[in-house]
Amino acid sequence: MSAHEVHLERLIGRKVHDVNGKPVGRIEDVLAERADLECVVQEFHLGPYAMLERLSVRISRLLLGRKHEPIRVRWDCLDLSDREHPVMRRGA
Amino acid sequence: MLLVRDVLDKQLLDRQGHKMGKVDGVVLEYGTDGPPRVLYLEVGAVTLAHRLGARVGRWASHLAQRLARVHHESYRIPWTRVRKVNLEVTVDEAVEETRVNVLEDWLRQNVVERIPGSGP
Amino acid sequence: MKRILEIALGIITGIGGFLEAGSLATAVQAGADFRFELIWAIVLGAACLAFLVEMSGRLAAISKHTVADAVRERFGFRFYLIAIIIMQLVMLLVLAAELGGVAIALQLVSGVSYRWWTIPVALVAWVLLWRGTFGLIEKGVSVLGLVTLAFVVGALQLHPPLDDVARGALPHLPSGDAAHYWFLAVSILGASISPYLFAFYAAGAVEDRWDVSHLNINRVTAGFGMGFGGIVAIGALVTAGIVFHPAGIEVKSYEQLPVLLTTALGDWGFPLFVASLGIACFGAAQEIALTSGYMLAQGLGWQWSENLQPAEDARFSLSYTVMIALATIPALAGVDILKLTNISMVFSAASLPIVVGPMLIIMNDKRYLREYGNGWFSNTMVALIIALAFVLAIVSVPLLLKGG
Repeated sequence: MSAHEVHLERLIGRKVHDVNGKPVGRIEDVLAERADLECVVQEFHLGPYAMLERLSVRISRLLLGRKHEPIRVRWDCLDLSDREHPVMRRGA
Repeated sequence: MLLVRDVLDKQLLDRQGHKMGKVDGVVLEYGTDGPPRVLYLEVGAVTLAHRLGARVGRWASHLAQRLARVHHESYRIPWTRVRKVNLEVTVDEAVEETRVNVLEDWLRQNVVERIPGSGP
Repeated sequence: MKRILEIALGIITGIGGFLEAGSLATAVQAGADFRFELIWAIVLGAACLAFLVEMSGRLAAISKHTVADAVRERFGFRFYLIAIIIMQLVMLLVLAAELGGVAIALQLVSGVSYRWWTIPVALVAWVLLWRGTFGLIEKGVSVLGLVTLAFVVGALQLHPPLDDVARGALPHLPSGDAAHYWFLAVSILGASISPYLFAFYAAGAVEDRWDVSHLNINRVTAGFGMGFGGIVAIGALVTAGIVFHPAGIEVKSYEQLPVLLTTALGDWGFPLFVASLGIACFGAAQEIALTSGYMLAQGLGWQWSENLQPAEDARFSLSYTVMIALATIPALAGVDILKLTNISMVFSAASLPIVVGPMLIIMNDKRYLREYGNGWFSNTMVALIIALAFVLAIVSVPLLLKGG
């Protein structure tokens, strides 16, 4: 299987479902880590709290509690074979 | 670092701090194994058009091909050239050496410079 | 010493720059139709504007980014595209009204129809932008704009009953035609809280290379500049309240207006009125044309500055050129300038949420503002202004149809 390119700017906003077809959330952001001259993707962040995170809106944890965090999907758990309908799978 | 919050749509600056447009697109590469890496940053109207929908993107691509003949695709900056990511994204390039200003240069030569009083 | 000069210039710019076609037309109609009852709308509008101007100035000084930059950078391209399209359409309407205002001032002096003056006016406005620098335009607009103080002097000369004026400064319900009253209130607010004003102010702060040390100047300029500017508009309203209201005169065109100042100031009234109208509208036209270029350039990441030669920022220079050219069309076509002004103010009011809404998020972003972000007071003010903006957006067009 050869390498293929994915345009991040076309991915954001797409709704992600799980293997059973249940909606999980929209792709709002991508967590990446810089190492030397490389930038490696770690996680996809989904859902409304990820959108707040993307907008740098800080809502105090004390107010909302731990439940209200972005939905974090590890890079190998997001199946992008159909770019328009990403699917969240269990760990690879 | 969050790629949408910190990189996408942010101002690009060249080595000397000159404006180079905003980051219109971020291209990831899914390799045969291992996590995807960021390959390029893209700057260009065609990239923006694709963000409005596949059909708009294709129409813009065709239009660009017909107008610009040679350099009709968006300009790509390899991630390896990125130096700093804070409020802006600074890259190790010089804006004169890039194609980013194709429209700017064309307008300058063919329209603005023909109007009196436009230049030094 | 330099700081004092900067503060003075800032305040003068606020005074001289406040009055333009929209604020003049709405103030005069309000005075004629409701005497002093709508002064509170000018006070409210000036106060909201002062808060927004202070915030956009602070944003520019600390982050070196403007509101248009931040909207694209924080909210993405799709949101920015919607916002910029709406803003450009509204600015085009307002610019057309301003060019019309200058043309009418020239018509009053020369007797030649404003339609013939439109192109010369647009050409002069364009040449000054093409060849001028930001400092030149800013100082020119502000110092010359002081002539509009004639309305304050005129109002005082007519000895208005001050307790009636004071009562009008407090919000209250209309005594007459309610739809028309609220239509004028909305128009006044739309004229005062013009989005292009604080976008221009932020771009100016970047052009003038503001930094942390300018924060106090920013606060003083915003508060006193917009505050005194509001007083000029109140002067126009009071003058109309005394001259037109008792006689039951309805304001239907700009040609009726010189009598306001000739009644108050005698022979000097006519030249002062023409100068006020012409200069105020001309200055506003320059600011709007520049702002339309700024907002496009900033959102798309182009190189931009009025201090550069046009050849150095071709796209930016051509944007304001195209804008000015398009804005001449209504006046050339003979559209009634007063009606155009009223309509442009209503749409300006309706477009407010899309510009003011993002401010609540941007002004709390530590990446832009570090430790200078909004405190609870500023946030409360922004939230209230946003609520007001949404109310205006919802009621403005229905009111235009019913009470305009």
